[in-house]
Amino acid sequence: MPLLEVDNISIGYHTRNGYLKAVEGVSFVLEEGQSLGLVGESGCGKTTIGMALMGLLPPNGSVSTGRILLEGKNILVMSDEEKRRIRWRKMAMIFQAAMNALNPVQRVGNQIAEAILVHNPSLEKEAALSQVEGLFDLVGIPRERLTDYPHQYSGGMKQRAVIAMALACHPKVIIADEPTTALDVIVQDQILEEVRALQREFNIGIIFISHDISIVADMCHEIGVMYAGQLVEFGPWRTVFESPAHPYTKALLSSFPTLTGKKSDLVPIPGETPNLINPPAGCRFCDRCPEAQAFCKTTPSQWVDIGSGHKALCCRS
Amino acid sequence: MNIDNENKQILQMRNVSKIYKGKGSLFRSSGKDVIALNRISLDIYKGEIFGLVGESGSGKTTAGRLIVSLEETTSGRIFLDSREVTALKGRELKAFRRKVQMIFQDPYQSLNPQRSVYDTVSEPLKIHRMGKASDRKDRVREALKAVGLSPPDDFLFRYPHRLSGGQRQRVAIARAMVLNPEFVIADEPTSMLDASISAQIFNILLTMRNRLGVTQMFITHSLAAARYLCDRIAVIYRGNLMELGPAEEVIKNPKHPYTQALIDAVPKFGHSKDARRYGTLLSKDHEVREDKGCIFYPRCAVADHNTCPRREPGLSQIGIDHWVACFRQGSKESGLTPFTYGLAEGR
Amino acid sequence: MTVRERFPLLNSFLDGWSIFKQSLLGRIGLVLLILFALMAVCSYIPPLIDPMYNPMTGVDPAITCCTPPGMRHWLGTDFMGRDILSQLLAGARVAFMVGISAAVMSIVLGVAIGMTAGYMGRFIDTLLMRLADMIMVMPTLLVVLILAAVFGQLNIWTIVLIIALFRWPGVSRIIRGQTLSLKQRPFIEAAKVAGASHSRIIFQHIMPNVLPLAFLFMTFRVTSAIITEAALAFLGFGDPGTVSWGMMLQWVWKTGHMFKAPYWLLPPGICISLITLSFYMLGRAMDEVLDPRLRKEDQTD
Repeated sequence: MPLLEVDNISIGYHTRNGYLKAVEGVSFVLEEGQSLGLVGESGCGKTTIGMALMGLLPPNGSVSTGRILLEGKNILVMSDEEKRRIRWRKMAMIFQAAMNALNPVQRVGNQIAEAILVHNPSLEKEAALSQVEGLFDLVGIPRERLTDYPHQYSGGMKQRAVIAMALACHPKVIIADEPTTALDVIVQDQILEEVRALQREFNIGIIFISHDISIVADMCHEIGVMYAGQLVEFGPWRTVFESPAHPYTKALLSSFPTLTGKKSDLVPIPGETPNLINPPAGCRFCDRCPEAQAFCKTTPSQWVDIGSGHKALCCRS
Repeated sequence: MNIDNENKQILQMRNVSKIYKGKGSLFRSSGKDVIALNRISLDIYKGEIFGLVGESGSGKTTAGRLIVSLEETTSGRIFLDSREVTALKGRELKAFRRKVQMIFQDPYQSLNPQRSVYDTVSEPLKIHRMGKASDRKDRVREALKAVGLSPPDDFLFRYPHRLSGGQRQRVAIARAMVLNPEFVIADEPTSMLDASISAQIFNILLTMRNRLGVTQMFITHSLAAARYLCDRIAVIYRGNLMELGPAEEVIKNPKHPYTQALIDAVPKFGHSKDARRYGTLLSKDHEVREDKGCIFYPRCAVADHNTCPRREPGLSQIGIDHWVACFRQGSKESGLTPFTYGLAEGR
Repeated sequence: MTVRERFPLLNSFLDGWSIFKQSLLGRIGLVLLILFALMAVCSYIPPLIDPMYNPMTGVDPAITCCTPPGMRHWLGTDFMGRDILSQLLAGARVAFMVGISAAVMSIVLGVAIGMTAGYMGRFIDTLLMRLADMIMVMPTLLVVLILAAVFGQLNIWTIVLIIALFRWPGVSRIIRGQTLSLKQRPFIEAAKVAGASHSRIIFQHIMPNVLPLAFLFMTFRVTSAIITEAALAFLGFGDPGTVSWGMMLQWVWKTGHMFKAPYWLLPPGICISLITLSFYMLGRAMDEVLDPRLRKEDQTD
């Protein structure tokens, strides 16, 4: 039984301008101790999936179809009480804006201790605090910073504190939504290294959400590329990056400047992403696709299996 | 780079410092001064794209703001076309404003939400009284076409809230380019945009240089973007210039431990585990007692513990147009760069 | 290019209208306001029909005391036989006049002072804001009462002016704050880099961004001006030559009809409450229109 299975999930938002189909028909499977990257540009629905997994969709958003199975149990049909119980204990999230995830008027150590206490009411406060010390050691924050307030922390330390908080209840799955976007490269590198080490140590499954394909490539075993609410390519990272099948993945890779390899021209993707209130009938990428054919515009694209777990949502691959 | 212009500087910075005074409050006698830039000297040549690379808080944005005279230098001098920027007033300042433009980081903040695309792009023309109303519209159309907003008539009367981030940044570029400036500062123009949109913006900036010969200073935190766009790059760390040289050379053959640490940290598409690492960054910082010495010393794994914490390294030349501020590369203690212009040092 | 795109002002008006329409409060407020505006317009009609319907001087020769509603006087008459309906209509006119002119004056003053303080900063900022603080803590009603005691009866326009002079500091504080934050915004810096002069930055960039807020405040200021005028008139410090609702209430009180003639007491009381309520509801709905979060395109990711 896989650790987490997302089965044909669709999510939409009711907005002032109509019903917005943010995610449509996305499926993937996460195994224990593995990391799965969801990569895509803003508006592709990757954050929405993360929020849906945690049950934190905003009031105007809801899962319209599909199942999310955590250890075989569908969390979408659970009661609020059950959901609350698995949140943080089985599944934790590292948020995009670490600065906002910490309460500014509470000492960092106490905040994390409290998160532990909420889920283990039988624990003494002292015991919880000593657990926090252990967590700080794990994520590399000096123990004497336990009694500091968040504003005394640097950006990197706040992110580490948020990671410590996510680890507090020993979850099996961590959803990391752009955990290093606001950080400088050197700090980002250190934190990603930390996350990798922790993952190995505790055998955690990680869903890594990012717009930065180079980070996802560094961090993940498997990669899902998302475009306009759909998963368009999925497979082991090496195959996806070395022989991308979907034209969008190819385009994304060739629009990304790198340090290694030869300094070739960047090829930007022309145009803009489609409107998800009235998505196009056929392939959603066809208007920007260099390989598009006449039928791409009208027929919805189909999954094509390329072998060894690599598949793409494109009729031409 | 155009051969004719090769040795002609358009911009010179000489020992430019910017110190933000700490605010003393009622109860605390004085706050700490923040040194945003520490005696920076560099030249930018006509027709090149010069990259200023640094992390947040490195002073790279401050440098740009000083050049366009949005802020005043604490000490040091900046010359544009051999005229001192800091001394400009009145009509001269207005003429300077026509020649130097800036593209800001956040396209969601840099356009006035109450003004249409036409209002925004035509504003510099109106300010400098260039062309009649009918000519202006044509010039605005041309500028919009040049940044890839076509057909321009579709965009003229749109308001920022009806544009995507990429489109907004194009409008901001059109506003900067509509006066045909000589020198443009692009301050992290793509840090708020997606990769595919960033590439569009990079290509627009490159086209500006290649077609119109606009000299640019590209401020960025991304070495990869700088490598793609720039002819030369300067790496800046907490207000100090660490390394300066041809882009490809600095990235392929970095000499300063900080540049090496930066390159180590950039994700390399999954190859970073097997990639060779310079390993110049300490996992735990050195203790420093005094406020002098090399600014990178506390984090440097290859420092000389006698010299580095005590003296401040100056830039020394180690290759063709390649300069480094590190004692291990033979730097001398830094002094002031002489106030000469007309001939660049080390050229 | 559509008509909407041709005329940006019309365009933003229509955009705003489409949000305004969705607000129930705004719709109720607008309907009420239109009713009062109609009343104000209609106030010119009764005196034309018969001089006895003149709200101030027209006395029904057949009546010498307070009478309940009837065919001749739909809402009855006051203690000396004046028609209450025509007084009520005239009162609407006065309420609009007082409310809107006092609000416009205080907003113009508040915006000018707030923008100057915010943009110039330093010494001028401190000076203007201390002045604002001083005025803000002065009890308006008390000062007006003292002035009235010193100078005798006050003209309605003097009252309007006093209300305006006392009501700008709140506006100017808000506008100053807005100006301070706008001043730091990159689009102002972009204008500076393009070479824009101070006046251009103030009038072309800052002003259009603070005006909507000022407009919003105007609706709230109208409310407070009407209430202040009514309170003054009720206390007997109003302009004796004007028929305002507050004045009507004072007449009811002074002639001892407070609990005897509900047909005389209730109409002006209800009108004061409703007109202030309608401006308030209008303001709340405009608040929604101006909320930038609603203006933005919906974002999901």
